[in-house]
Amino acid sequence: MESIGRRRFLATTAGGGLAGILAARVPPARGQQREISYLCWNNFAPASDKKLAEVGQRFTKDTGIKIRIDHIAHAQQAAKYASEVQSQAGHDLVEMRMHFPWLYEPQLVDVSDVVAELEKKHGKVISSGYEAALVGPAPKGVWRAVPQYHTYFVPTYREDLFKKAGLKVPDTWEDLYTVGRELKKMGNPVGIPISQNYDSISTAGPVLWSFGGMEVDRDGKTVRINSPATEQMVEWYKKMFRDCMEPEVLSWSDASNNESIQAGKAGWIHNPVSAYIVARNNKMVTADGINHHRSLTGPGGRHETDVPRSIAIWKFSKNIEPAKEWIRYLLGKRDVYDEYIISGDAFNLPVYTSLQDHPVLKTDPKFAGLKGEGVQYHIYGWPAPPSDKVQLITNSFILPNMIAKAVTGTSTKEAVAWADKEMKRIISG
Amino acid sequence: MAVGGVRVVPASPRASLRVRARELFDREWFLGPVFVTPALLLILLLVAYPFCMALWFSLSNAFIGRPSHWVGLQNFVRLWESDAFRQTFQNAFVFAGAAVALKLVLGISLALLLNQQLWVKRAIRGAVLLPWVIPTALSTLGWLWMFSSLYGVVNWTGIALGLMDPPGPNWLGQKYYAMTAVVTVNVWRGLPFFAITILAGLVSIPRELYEAAEADGAGPVARFWHVTLPLLKPILAIVVLFSTIFTFSDFNIVYVLTRGGPINSTHLFATLSRQIGLESGRIGEGAAISLYLFPVLMFVVWAQLRFVRKQVY
Repeated sequence: MESIGRRRFLATTAGGGLAGILAARVPPARGQQREISYLCWNNFAPASDKKLAEVGQRFTKDTGIKIRIDHIAHAQQAAKYASEVQSQAGHDLVEMRMHFPWLYEPQLVDVSDVVAELEKKHGKVISSGYEAALVGPAPKGVWRAVPQYHTYFVPTYREDLFKKAGLKVPDTWEDLYTVGRELKKMGNPVGIPISQNYDSISTAGPVLWSFGGMEVDRDGKTVRINSPATEQMVEWYKKMFRDCMEPEVLSWSDASNNESIQAGKAGWIHNPVSAYIVARNNKMVTADGINHHRSLTGPGGRHETDVPRSIAIWKFSKNIEPAKEWIRYLLGKRDVYDEYIISGDAFNLPVYTSLQDHPVLKTDPKFAGLKGEGVQYHIYGWPAPPSDKVQLITNSFILPNMIAKAVTGTSTKEAVAWADKEMKRIISG
Repeated sequence: MAVGGVRVVPASPRASLRVRARELFDREWFLGPVFVTPALLLILLLVAYPFCMALWFSLSNAFIGRPSHWVGLQNFVRLWESDAFRQTFQNAFVFAGAAVALKLVLGISLALLLNQQLWVKRAIRGAVLLPWVIPTALSTLGWLWMFSSLYGVVNWTGIALGLMDPPGPNWLGQKYYAMTAVVTVNVWRGLPFFAITILAGLVSIPRELYEAAEADGAGPVARFWHVTLPLLKPILAIVVLFSTIFTFSDFNIVYVLTRGGPINSTHLFATLSRQIGLESGRIGEGAAISLYLFPVLMFVVWAQLRFVRKQVY
């Protein structure tokens, strides 16, 4: 038998091994990188981002899967996601706001198995979570993202000023007009943005729904904005703008209403709880006076804008299973999920039905108004199912622009007709 | 080896290669392309490829992450039906026209001023460049605070000087004021580019021409019209050309100050393109918006370069 030299042995085994790896296109177990990356937004409750990083470290320790968590400003999300999809490269997991899962649907992994596990543990996902992340009609639809938490809009007011002036906490949008007049006289106007930002839509939506109106019908095809309900809603905005607000609301950004109540100017705003959390955490003088009350109602019922957030996995990810493991770790382990939710100071609320009476609501007496009894929560465009067209109607700011036109001199009928024409153009396109 | 008593040492192959390479580099037909190729590759990679992609997108129904199909000029035609787009089209011309005209007039004035024998001339010239140097998004954020209708320094100063009635204009909430605000910031930012470039032109005008004009009895105004301005024409044409293109494609100022509002009255092609193409996923329409003015701008470039060539040769 021919003897094999040391050099020949090494050359043969290394060459054969390499050829095997190249043929199988799978690295050996020791070389496989169990590392995932997760892109999420800069949470308005910053403590929640810190907690996420902490949970990430524990996840690595417990599972051996390394996780890199990156953050991005919410205004940059759409552009970043578009570039990741176009280049088919980037993060494994991404945080999705509202109906993003519909927008990126063909690029997202089916995560129905993970959602089924979570629903078994925490109860059904709340309705707005279904609207946002279950793509296709329920129950046959496919979950393209796993519901993570939700943030809803809530009336936020200066309780101290209300008490001082003997004002009654409003229950209807009409009540708000009554107290709003007094607030403006006191130098503390109502602060509802009427500009090209998302907070404007977040208030215009509930007002429209509460007056019994809608933009597009349930079929997603019939535009219903030109209705008496919309005209009533516009008339309400006109008198609010005239008697209860300052013209500055026409140029407000998403942050302006928060800043206005924190600075001691606005007496009432419609915003998630972050306005109060920031005031409290930064020990602002207005913090003690700020409180929340139940969402307002109207002839069409008590509706509120909800912003569900979910976690999705790109189809181009090479780490789909480890990515699912991260979702199960963060949302499926009750203690971890509780810890994560509590770090968000009631800005991030649980999105599963049996967790609705969550301990986070008892961490501050000011969170009592967040319970939302009898409130129907929806995402933008309700009752129309999410679609690229409904998304374009939202992103084109047609609703706030219709109101802005009306409050700055255009007749109500003309403003509504303009919105009707613009929405019909989009739906027919 | 010895031949006829003379010893010949054969050239080493390395040395002969070096000689051949040197000869090659001495030839224009080889050296020219060598120098041009890296720049050409960069242009192809960073300009031509994205441009061709954008062109393809604009002629397709491309939507984020979905297969796209050729739709011809449909995006361009359908855009014209959109109220927001027609408004944007108008805004772009108002914005670019007003901003470039103001930058031109103020730029010439500032350059003339900087051309004088001023005390600490260098420091002043350096300071003038500041708006051009600071990142636009950052400086525009400063303007956002200054234009705040309730707490902004613009209204505060106007009211304090008795120029405005309290509470002052709602700069970013009313359409004409909002357009004035975005034009103001664009002029503030673009002015140094005009001033410094025109200044470079001014210092290159021979003093003898002014002396001759003075000897002929020309006053300052006549000297400006008959000496300075004609000699500045080529440089002004180039500056206006660049500025027109930059101003039409401006994004940061509008995005930070108004996000296109109120009621789309300050949207420009770039901001509307982002809203439709990236935020709503309609890449095809978004690309069509950003390319809408391409033929017009091409014509402007052609006309101005032709003018410059006539002036120079």
